[in-house]
Amino acid sequence: MSGTLRAQLCFLLLSVTVLRGRARFLDIQDDEMSPEGLLSLLSSELKRDLPEEFVYRRALRCLDMVAIEGQFTFTAERPQLNCAVFFIGEPSDIISIEYDSVNIDCRGGDFIKVFNGWVMKGEKFPSTQDHPLPLYERYSDYCDTGAARPIVRSSQNVAMLFFRLHQAGSSFTITFRKLINPFPCNVVSQTPEGSFTMVIPQQHRNCSFSIIYPAEIQIGELSLGQHNDLKRSILSCANSGDFVELLGGNGMDTSKMFPIADICYSFNGPAQLKVGCDNTVVRMVSSGKFVNRVSFQYRLLGHQELQQMKGNSVEDVCLRP
Amino acid sequence: MKLNVFVTTVALLVAFPPPYECRAIDGSSNQQATDPDGERQSLPLLARLGEEYFIRLGNRNQNSARSSPDDYSEKSQYSKRALQLQLTQRLLEGKVGNIGRLNGNYALRALDSGERERRSEEPPISLDLTFHLLREVLEMARAEQMAQQAHSNRKMMEIFGK
Repeated sequence: MSGTLRAQLCFLLLSVTVLRGRARFLDIQDDEMSPEGLLSLLSSELKRDLPEEFVYRRALRCLDMVAIEGQFTFTAERPQLNCAVFFIGEPSDIISIEYDSVNIDCRGGDFIKVFNGWVMKGEKFPSTQDHPLPLYERYSDYCDTGAARPIVRSSQNVAMLFFRLHQAGSSFTITFRKLINPFPCNVVSQTPEGSFTMVIPQQHRNCSFSIIYPAEIQIGELSLGQHNDLKRSILSCANSGDFVELLGGNGMDTSKMFPIADICYSFNGPAQLKVGCDNTVVRMVSSGKFVNRVSFQYRLLGHQELQQMKGNSVEDVCLRP
Repeated sequence: MKLNVFVTTVALLVAFPPPYECRAIDGSSNQQATDPDGERQSLPLLARLGEEYFIRLGNRNQNSARSSPDDYSEKSQYSKRALQLQLTQRLLEGKVGNIGRLNGNYALRALDSGERERRSEEPPISLDLTFHLLREVLEMARAEQMAQQAHSNRKMMEIFGK
């Protein structure tokens, strides 16, 4: 093999491995780089999944929150009747839960259920209005379908696992992965501060971004693909098929939250609003006729700010005495 | 030769965009992880604060949203937050049965066998949890994620250093 062709082949293989993000697994000997050795870089050893030593593992707690990909095991030391695990990823992730090994007694009343979303006190996120699936399809019971369908995927960046184990010694192991969602729709923010751009590309759907903290929202840009006639007075966005609304409430269900403001025309430039509720939501309603986009930043409201709002504001429903 | 290399590079960049895993974490604020040294507290103090924590949880239905902003006072220090997180962790390990309970709603599903009929008649599952506790477990998960990211970065640096 000529030197020029050898160099080109090395550059080609190096580029492929780097661009696929697996360069950290390279372990090339400096002395001899044979074609066979170079081609082995693309062998089955460089699988899509990480090697065993790189998989994160830990035990699950009865009430837990998981944000890291890895393998999680729960072993009941005593009967555990009311357990739940929250899963959360980045806004552009969806959740994948795979049953690796399950040792429970389904006939004895044990169960493991995955919920597509979060549910607290009966209130669900995303709400039934905003989720593509009906409620009964959002619960996936291992005892019913686990053997046939060992992998359950969510529609957004949050999911939950409910389980009940009656016998000490019962256990299960699941693998939690995050998959890419190119157009995230319903999101729960991991942090009380950050920024996000929500895009609905000509889809007739409603999308919510939930911040489970009292927060100040600063909308930087809103692009609604409808005709903008500012001379036309807009008393309400109810008749508009495309708008953005700010919601505040003390539950997870966006359909039960209070509308703080709504905007149904495109604009540039920061518009700020403080919401002193446990849950602050930016929700976009889209008719499907246009590509709608909203960019915003959010930050946590401090204690003093909340006290000030409580004393001055008459419109913040969550802070009314 | 150079043109061939350039064309090959462009073709590879178009065909293989950088994967998500290579991106640094962005879009969120870089809140500092809980200082593990701040978690060292004397046992009697933990027990006393633990009792207060349990009492608040016992009245969780009266725990209004207005009480939660107290936790985010400007005066809260690392030690207070670390202590709260440690209390939450101890709580989750031992006493969770007092917190969560099943809250039935509605719904019926298709019936097959006897056991499936019994299970499918059960209503969807929910969890009684305050936003305060939800935020606590969320912050624990974020701290764990940051620690794991730091550990992974160290591992990669060790590999590259070989």
